[in-house]
Amino acid sequence: MAELRTEEFTVNMGPHHPSTHGVCRLILTLSGEKVIKIVPVIGYLHRALEKICENRTYAQCIPVMDRFEYVTAMSCEYLFSNAAEKLAEIEVPERAEYLRVIMLELNRIASHLIFYGVTAMDIGALTPFLYGLREREGIIDLFEMTCGQRLTYNYIRIGGVSKDIPPQFEPKCRETIKTIREKLNDYEGLLNENPIWLVRNKGIGVLPADLGIAYGVSGPVLRASGVKYDIRKDDPYSIYDRFDFEIPTRENGDCYDRYLLRLDEIKQSLNIVEQALDALPEGDIKAKVSPNFKPPAGEVYARVENSRGELGVYIQSDGGKKPLRVKMRGGSFNQLQVLPEIGTDCLVADLVAIFASLDIILPEVDR
Amino acid sequence: MTFDELKEYISANYPDDMTLLDTGRCEPFYEVKAEKLVAVCKRLRDDEQLKFDYFCNLGGVDTGERMEAVYSLASYSMKLRLDLKVILPHENAEIDSVQEVWPAANWYERELWELYGVNVKNHNNLTRFLLPDDWDQGFPMRKDWDAPDFIRMPEL
Amino acid sequence: MGVIKKLPIYTEKLPGGGLILTSLETVINQAQAKSLWYLLFGTACCAIELMCTGASRYDFDRLGMIFRATPRQADLIIAAGTITKKMAPRLRRLYDQMAEPRRVIAMGGCTIKGGPFYYDSYSVEKGIDHIVPVDMYIPGCPPRPESLLEGCIHLQEKIKKQKLSDWQEK
Repeated sequence: MAELRTEEFTVNMGPHHPSTHGVCRLILTLSGEKVIKIVPVIGYLHRALEKICENRTYAQCIPVMDRFEYVTAMSCEYLFSNAAEKLAEIEVPERAEYLRVIMLELNRIASHLIFYGVTAMDIGALTPFLYGLREREGIIDLFEMTCGQRLTYNYIRIGGVSKDIPPQFEPKCRETIKTIREKLNDYEGLLNENPIWLVRNKGIGVLPADLGIAYGVSGPVLRASGVKYDIRKDDPYSIYDRFDFEIPTRENGDCYDRYLLRLDEIKQSLNIVEQALDALPEGDIKAKVSPNFKPPAGEVYARVENSRGELGVYIQSDGGKKPLRVKMRGGSFNQLQVLPEIGTDCLVADLVAIFASLDIILPEVDR
Repeated sequence: MTFDELKEYISANYPDDMTLLDTGRCEPFYEVKAEKLVAVCKRLRDDEQLKFDYFCNLGGVDTGERMEAVYSLASYSMKLRLDLKVILPHENAEIDSVQEVWPAANWYERELWELYGVNVKNHNNLTRFLLPDDWDQGFPMRKDWDAPDFIRMPEL
Repeated sequence: MGVIKKLPIYTEKLPGGGLILTSLETVINQAQAKSLWYLLFGTACCAIELMCTGASRYDFDRLGMIFRATPRQADLIIAAGTITKKMAPRLRRLYDQMAEPRRVIAMGGCTIKGGPFYYDSYSVEKGIDHIVPVDMYIPGCPPRPESLLEGCIHLQEKIKKQKLSDWQEK
């Protein structure tokens, strides 16, 4: 019998594909069901945020930063404000710092809840999506009662925050924390030992620690590979050094560990919010910053730990009211770079699981 | 190691390669000559006291007269931060690729080439990726860039 | 008989039951309006609000709207998020792949006129209405789930009013 002729097959995945969390195109070369080459094509959401920031005043940049990483918009606002404060050496009132930490951590939880829902949906389980987004609404309500927005807040400003929290915030927040703590058991019960979930995630997409370091991967993805690196502890910003929290790590670096690690992080963030609520001091919420804020000439690279790794911004000021250059850096940019390395030699269906577990969102990549 | 110790260490060990710039308030910014870049980066990464193994960021800057490339580095194990700056001419700027030192630099360098027109030598894949494939309007992040459908925000 | 009583008032019962006299137009319009399956086309921030609308609290399904991952099965594109110049040809292609009758909702400022990226952006398409015909605009950055729901209800009203003669000409 004559030998069957086989050949490689090229498949285009995206840019509009439900599992790419936005618009990312992957050109896959397949041999049967196996992926032998991945070429990511990005830029479908390149909105020129950096160019826009160059033509805005510092205060006007903050709403633009909201759109840079909309899932954790508070981190972006904090990042830009922090960089501008470093440039101009502005002292932020104590109460504002506490409010910022509360908002940052609530936002991190909200982002991880989206991860929980969307990842499960990509793998084929629809129920966790409904669960995750249900609990997220509780957090969104808190943001809404504070600043009136659900997604793009413009709450953290240069020198402080825009508004004080309303009186009903604290009881509502404690209630939300309690609900999420209870529901986390449900979440874990749904997926942690689910046989299908285990088969789809365990041992899939292993990221060795040295590969992650070479590619500059950060955040939960790197910590799931056993590298204990968290900017909140290792390069502390704001008042994170006053709180008592753990940095969870995992050893295997596969999709399952990345998932478990994010659930652990939710628990730690809940603790931080509680501690911050307990210690919330009275006082001012904003330092005096003129609307025509002009920092002295200089440059700074600020970074924070958000739910997808290191979020950084480089600002160069020439002493004018507009920044000369704003360069944004998102964790997903590096996570997507490492995808061809860890996604090769797996099945197409596993690629979806890997992509989901890296928690890449595309505005961070394309800006 | 604190920032002051880092400054001392660098001035003692890298006297000819890195010049401290008087711009950074919080973290040290150093200027590196373009031709020495790869060698300095390699030394910084392999230095037992520093171990700058984390490539955070690379951003181009167009100040109007010159191009700058700003490298932000960190160290996973030593918890340090450092910024390097390479000053380049405005036209026909060329810089060596550092992707052999940190593979993470690959995409950042592509972006530098695509948006600023800085030619990156020894790069394995210098192709367009953020802009549309048929883009022919030059390098949009340059300060003097303009296009017919580009609308500037009016001054208030 | 209970089912027939619940049918909309413009159906007429004939004596003896079992038969309903109505116009073909009404049947088609009702069918189209009450099962608008939308294409998952979230590009940016609005996609998160689209997800929230589909999830527990806002529950898109009660309007008969269920997400579809492929344009072949969809009646409606909710263009949720910024459309860049690189993405615009893909939006057009997805629209072309959908079967008639097809509709477009422009969700959020970006799809209406560029939104916050109107000024100083070299890569954002200033409105999607010169790429695909738009049926409904929903302003906001991003619009709240309530406004998306309201927009969809308005679109259903619009579909119910369409004349059979109008869409035969298309």
